[in-house]
Amino acid sequence: MSINALRAENINVWFGERHVLNDVNIEFPENQVTALIGPSGCGKSTFLRTLNRMHETIPGAGLAGSIYLDGQDMYAPEVDPVSIRLKVGMVFQKPNPFPTMSIRENVISGLRLTGRKDPNLEALVEDSLRRASIWNEVKDRLNDPAISLSGGQQQRLCIARSLAMKPEVLLMDEPCSALDPGSTRRIEETILELTDSMTIVIVTHNMQQAQRVSNKTAFFLADEGKPGEIVEFADTEQIFSMPTDPRTNDYVNGHFG
Amino acid sequence: MDASVKPRPKLAAPWKKSSTPSKLAILSASLFPSLLSFTLAGLFHLPGLITLIAVLLPLQLLAAAAVGTFISGRHGRSGAILMVLVVFFSAIVVILLGSVLWSVISNGFKVLSIPFLIQNNNYITPTTELGYGGLGHALLGSIELVLISSAVTVPLGILVGVYLTETRDKSRTLVRTFVQSLAGLPSVVAGLFIYSMFVVTGVLRPAGILGALALIPLMLPTVARVVEESLKLVPQDLRNAAIGLGASKFKAFMQVTLPAAKSGIITAVLLGIARILGETAPILLTTLMGSGTNLNVFQDAFATLPTYLFNNLANSTEVSFSRAWGTALVMMIFVGAAFVSIRIVSRNKTSAKKK
Amino acid sequence: MSSVESSVAPERRVLSDKPTARADKVFYGLSRAAAYSAIVLVALILTFLAWQAWPTFQDQGINFLIGSKWDNTSDNPVFQIFPMLWGSILISGIGAAVAIPMGLSLAYFIEFVAGKKLAAFVTSIVDLLAALPSVIIGLWGALVFTPVAVEWAKILNQYLGFIPIFRNSSETFPGSPFIAGWIVAVMIVPIITSVSREVFSQIDKDLINGAIGLGAGRAAIFTKVILPTSRGGVVGGVLLAVGRALGETVAIYYVLTLTFKINWYEVLEGRGGSIASFIIGQFGEAEGKTISALMAAGVVLFVVSLLINFIAGWIVSRAASRGKF
Repeated sequence: MSINALRAENINVWFGERHVLNDVNIEFPENQVTALIGPSGCGKSTFLRTLNRMHETIPGAGLAGSIYLDGQDMYAPEVDPVSIRLKVGMVFQKPNPFPTMSIRENVISGLRLTGRKDPNLEALVEDSLRRASIWNEVKDRLNDPAISLSGGQQQRLCIARSLAMKPEVLLMDEPCSALDPGSTRRIEETILELTDSMTIVIVTHNMQQAQRVSNKTAFFLADEGKPGEIVEFADTEQIFSMPTDPRTNDYVNGHFG
Repeated sequence: MDASVKPRPKLAAPWKKSSTPSKLAILSASLFPSLLSFTLAGLFHLPGLITLIAVLLPLQLLAAAAVGTFISGRHGRSGAILMVLVVFFSAIVVILLGSVLWSVISNGFKVLSIPFLIQNNNYITPTTELGYGGLGHALLGSIELVLISSAVTVPLGILVGVYLTETRDKSRTLVRTFVQSLAGLPSVVAGLFIYSMFVVTGVLRPAGILGALALIPLMLPTVARVVEESLKLVPQDLRNAAIGLGASKFKAFMQVTLPAAKSGIITAVLLGIARILGETAPILLTTLMGSGTNLNVFQDAFATLPTYLFNNLANSTEVSFSRAWGTALVMMIFVGAAFVSIRIVSRNKTSAKKK
Repeated sequence: MSSVESSVAPERRVLSDKPTARADKVFYGLSRAAAYSAIVLVALILTFLAWQAWPTFQDQGINFLIGSKWDNTSDNPVFQIFPMLWGSILISGIGAAVAIPMGLSLAYFIEFVAGKKLAAFVTSIVDLLAALPSVIIGLWGALVFTPVAVEWAKILNQYLGFIPIFRNSSETFPGSPFIAGWIVAVMIVPIITSVSREVFSQIDKDLINGAIGLGAGRAAIFTKVILPTSRGGVVGGVLLAVGRALGETVAIYYVLTLTFKINWYEVLEGRGGSIASFIIGQFGEAEGKTISALMAAGVVLFVVSLLINFIAGWIVSRAASRGKF
């Protein structure tokens, strides 16, 4: 039996008094990709943000329940949120490289920002960029500004930036929604290559993408005026071929949402 | 060469075409009234503004209304009238500013000389001829005061801006209200305040440092507001990215937010300096006007450019008026330099964005 | 379903966005201290001025505000500030009347008429005007503008003298509120322009396109769409400008003749008042009770400016929150 690196227990989330997530329980298998799918507003992105304590940076946020990383409750009072974010990296919906920094500086920006040192910076830069499969495109222009890259390249740079921190878990919030199909395919390939060393949780609106990249899939749904919940969590194949819940069936076959 | 790429034809905007009669009408409507009023003013020796308001404006309104109606009917008429009024009032502002700039430059340039820039005003009376004495002492004094005030206000203002944008304290609205009320502080009241706090209580006699202190509440709201605005323009995504990488708030601010807002913060500092460089009233109230060079801000009479100008204007002789114009030109050069630097800084920013 | 809903809500966890690292604490502490220092500063200003002004308020009572006599030579001095207060208000009013059409025109020109380059040019002219020190405007006003404005005033008086506000019984034209009002207008045009421009630029372009689609002309769009939607913001901007005009000191000092014989509305006549200029004029020779009286005048000026500023801020933010700029 493998130890699950990341596990959520009874997670409830509020914004102000509005209850947006109800009793989410899920275990993310180690070194696999888990996709979170569901219609807009079902709380899947919110849930993703609870996994590295980015959630609490939103004004009015509230939360109940626990999330365990390596057996430790990350919301325990003695835990420093910064230390969690070092282990759980995040890639955002819109590519957001630091505009004032060069490509190279962006890759090592995490080290700078957290005051860490790495004796072998160049190797780290190359390795991170390679694993984000962007090395060949940028190796000759590492000192160009990051914003000179195309949108897809910027997103892969953001992935490289997260990889340079050597996280155990990588969270991806609709990483391809702002990108063209070609860039999307490159990033999906990158995701598959990364699974040998880390756990990945990806939020996506794209059913095909979930089928292509994920091992497991969780389907979130929020009924009118009610908080979002996990309707079904199973192997991706099962979710898309023979879901147990009729609502999942409706959604994955495009009947609503 | 790609064969499918077509060069854009010269006139790819058919809506810009206009018929010959309407072109002619517009041309005559813009020439005829000014020519006629020019002739009338010449014939009857009318003063400039009267010609503008009582002759040119009505004529121009009539002509524009007629042409507007001719080209596009009833709504063309009211549109043309609106345009004439808008251009007319805008032109008055441009003329007023032009007059200010021209009088300062033309009068001030005659006075500008090396001695005027480096000598002080010792043994100079309002009737001493130009060529002796100058604003050297006031120039040094102004620079010193601006440096002292900025040394306090710039960090303070940036921190207030940081507080308003980067924290989530409940009292932000309150702080913002108070900063805003400082922006409404009349400069003469700032002078009275420092006077009552230090001179009346006997802590210090009027001295340069009090002038510098009186400038702080005047500079602070400018710096704080512009810093706040430029920090607000930094996308939340960037902060999230930094925090998501595990950065502490301080590191994220210093290495991501601050560099991204750099040009805005430089602008804030320059605007603040431009604001206090010309402040006169608070310095008049808190210092004694000096004529010699005195860099000791803690005692004795002290001179600055605006107070030197003010005193020369008060002396009411031709020579001292000239000195006042010369001082005005020097001040304007400083303000202009700050102004141009702001343009350059913000242009760099926009061009970087375009890349 | 309902059984899940009715289950007892789990206990909430403590979430905080408070800083944990020491550098963060120091950083936030410093910025909080700086922010509170702005509050302390305003409090200090009010406290010290009020403390100094107190004897005057006690001696003079309400007459300080509403009386029209200033005598600091006798043993029982009389300090009454009303003519100066009224003068400040009158001059600000004239300034606003002159500056509003100019500011609105410039804003409209920049936002809706001029092309990109011309708009940038006009904007930088307005910014430059805003950056000019008031003492330079004062110099220009005294030596260049006054002679010209006196000519205008004479003609106004000659042809429109039958209207009470253009009367001039003393036949002295220099040093009038009319001239001071123009000087103030030059200084506040940039404020009105920039606020109105800001407000104009935030008008929903769909609203204007909708009006164009309905066949509205330029004038109709301006009077029926632009002005009504931007009214709140523009009024707020004008009030901000008036607040600035009230505190204007040195620019007015050399172009206005200060007297305690109140000038209610004869704007062309060479006598008027301005609290700020009066303080500057008197302070040099003042001592003892006179200083206290001038501090009291400063308190009045500050309180009036504060009030106007707050009202302006309130109007602007109300207009903004309604989305009705």
